Amino acid sequence: MAPKPIASPVPEAWYPTLSFVMLAIGLIITASFFIYEATSSRRNRSLAKELLTGAVASVFLGFGSLFLLLSSGVYV
Amino acid sequence: MGSRLDLFLLTIAILLGTVLSDLILSKVDRRVDLRSQIVRVTSTLKVENDGTNSVLEVLLAFPDNHVKHLAYLAVTPKEGKGKSKDSANSFPMELVHPKDMPPALTFYSVSLPKPLAKGDSLTFDVLAVFTHALRPFPEQITQADIQLLVFQESAHFLSPYAVKVQSLSIKLPDARIESYTKLENTKIHGSEIKYGPYESLPPFSYSPIVVHYESKQPFAVAQELVREIEISHWGNVQVTEHYNLNHGGAQIKGEFSRLDYQARPHVRSASAFRNLVARLPPRARSVYYRDEIGNISTSHLWGDSKKTELEIEPRYPMFGGWRTSFTIGYSLPLHDFLFQSEEKRFLNITFGCPINDVVIDTLIVKVVLPEGSSDISVSTPFPVKQLQETKISHLDVAGRPVVVLEKSNVVPEHNQYFQVYYKFNSLALLREPLMLISGFFFLFVACIVYMHADLSISKSSASYLAKLQWDEVQASVQQVQSIISRCLSIHDKLEASLRDLSRTGDVQSCKAARKAADASLKELIKELKPLLTFLQSSQQASQILPKVEDLVAKEKDMQDRLLAKHSTVVDCYEKKYGGKEIENRVAQQQQKINALRQEVDDLLDFVDEI
Repeated sequence: MAPKPIASPVPEAWYPTLSFVMLAIGLIITASFFIYEATSSRRNRSLAKELLTGAVASVFLGFGSLFLLLSSGVYV
Repeated sequence: MGSRLDLFLLTIAILLGTVLSDLILSKVDRRVDLRSQIVRVTSTLKVENDGTNSVLEVLLAFPDNHVKHLAYLAVTPKEGKGKSKDSANSFPMELVHPKDMPPALTFYSVSLPKPLAKGDSLTFDVLAVFTHALRPFPEQITQADIQLLVFQESAHFLSPYAVKVQSLSIKLPDARIESYTKLENTKIHGSEIKYGPYESLPPFSYSPIVVHYESKQPFAVAQELVREIEISHWGNVQVTEHYNLNHGGAQIKGEFSRLDYQARPHVRSASAFRNLVARLPPRARSVYYRDEIGNISTSHLWGDSKKTELEIEPRYPMFGGWRTSFTIGYSLPLHDFLFQSEEKRFLNITFGCPINDVVIDTLIVKVVLPEGSSDISVSTPFPVKQLQETKISHLDVAGRPVVVLEKSNVVPEHNQYFQVYYKFNSLALLREPLMLISGFFFLFVACIVYMHADLSISKSSASYLAKLQWDEVQASVQQVQSIISRCLSIHDKLEASLRDLSRTGDVQSCKAARKAADASLKELIKELKPLLTFLQSSQQASQILPKVEDLVAKEKDMQDRLLAKHSTVVDCYEKKYGGKEIENRVAQQQQKINALRQEVDDLLDFVDEI
């Protein structure tokens, strides 16, 4: 079998766009998380909802910041 | 020194005259290239078997004082021009110490591809590359002087075999020749000196010659070069090269005049070099050139589809004995250098330094593999010292495995591809994003914990209790709010059912909707009751209570009116009244409902703000 070149799983040209979109979504979800934290009173707050929002926001922020690092030349 | 060796060798030559007389060299043609600081000796040998047994090995002899400068040695078959430089089909060779041989010589044994039978002959090329073999003489010059170099060699090919016909040609740079040893049959053509042909010389013939000539070639010697090649599977191979460079030619004495240098650089400062050209692989990007102080702006970069050329100028012109250190770095696309072969991945990249005609005393190549690589093995076309270490870089936990390859005396001939094989699971690529994600997630969890934790110190103080009560009040007000908004949505549903009725005339479904609404409204009112009693009993709620009660009352009123309107409309439909008549009957109700709805919405907003 001839050696096959290995490339990045995501085309490198997409990194800036991906990072922008994912960070934007992540920040919006983060904002909604903090709005929920600040406005709902301690008794009616649902832990599951908080954790879920936090998890989704961190997935978007995590990938967004990864692509931000990659697009700015810090290849991790 | 040369003549002493000569005398010594001559003695042993007489003693050992016929040790390896099975082979003879029927023709030896040596070409020495002195046009750069690196001495390249290409010898074309025609070996003939004169004995009875077939021969598998040919010995090459080098004097010990040459061997310590020997950087590269390759033996390739002579197959016409162009093909002979291919290193893939070179003959294997090894260092040997044959018995009964003069001690001041080092021998390499070349294994022939097929045995040489009696009477057969074979022609091959021997390329020997020497570094630091040229001695500047005088050793110290002023800025205006031109560098003179001394080269020592033997006019006769030093070999354990008898040589029938031989010749030597020395190619010098296009400049003045100060002096050269004149033997019989010495000719000079422009910048080329020819010795020979000499015929029928015994083994170990040695006849020293010395050439003293002018050279303006750069003497860039990297005392140490550390190349770090870092692989990222996110699409990048980052190469960082730390140079520790000096000018290895004649030392400069006296002072350096910048004025002279600037005014007539080629006449007054011929021995200095001002720039270096690095040939980087094609598609190199993010190229930088800096030293400890910062970026060095005197560099130029241009490229095409075959190569990228980087021309760099050190911060000052380099004169003999001067040194500088700098770093260049560049990124290369991953798919040009990393390949998958069955189970393993391998990196295929050149070993040596990209700068033209640089001699490297110690070259350290570090290949930084991604975290999680295993089963690492290296394949190099020449022997190197191997080490392994780990490096902690961005977003690493255990550190990345690093393969360290060390080689001394490296010349451009060593710029060959080498391979680093390793195993890597593609899922390990998600390590870095998972670390970032968990980092952010911990932040959120910390926020949640902070918001849920009760951090007050005094659990019995009045203000703390008041705060607790106020929390409860807030919670119940919010619940009331949510119940009211649910009521309002039920109202909307009822209105929708009325609209459906006017469109389809289906009284039954409208009645069913009404029934469902009645049930849920009842439920909601039941839920509302304890909340209201709590608010009434709570002191903290005294301010907000009137509003809440008002809200509940208004909602109740609106609910009653809506239900009444609903019954009326349904009634009218059952009695088959006309649309106009129905509208007349409920018009007043509708007006009041609309007004109440407005008030309820206002009150909701008001309560929300509290």
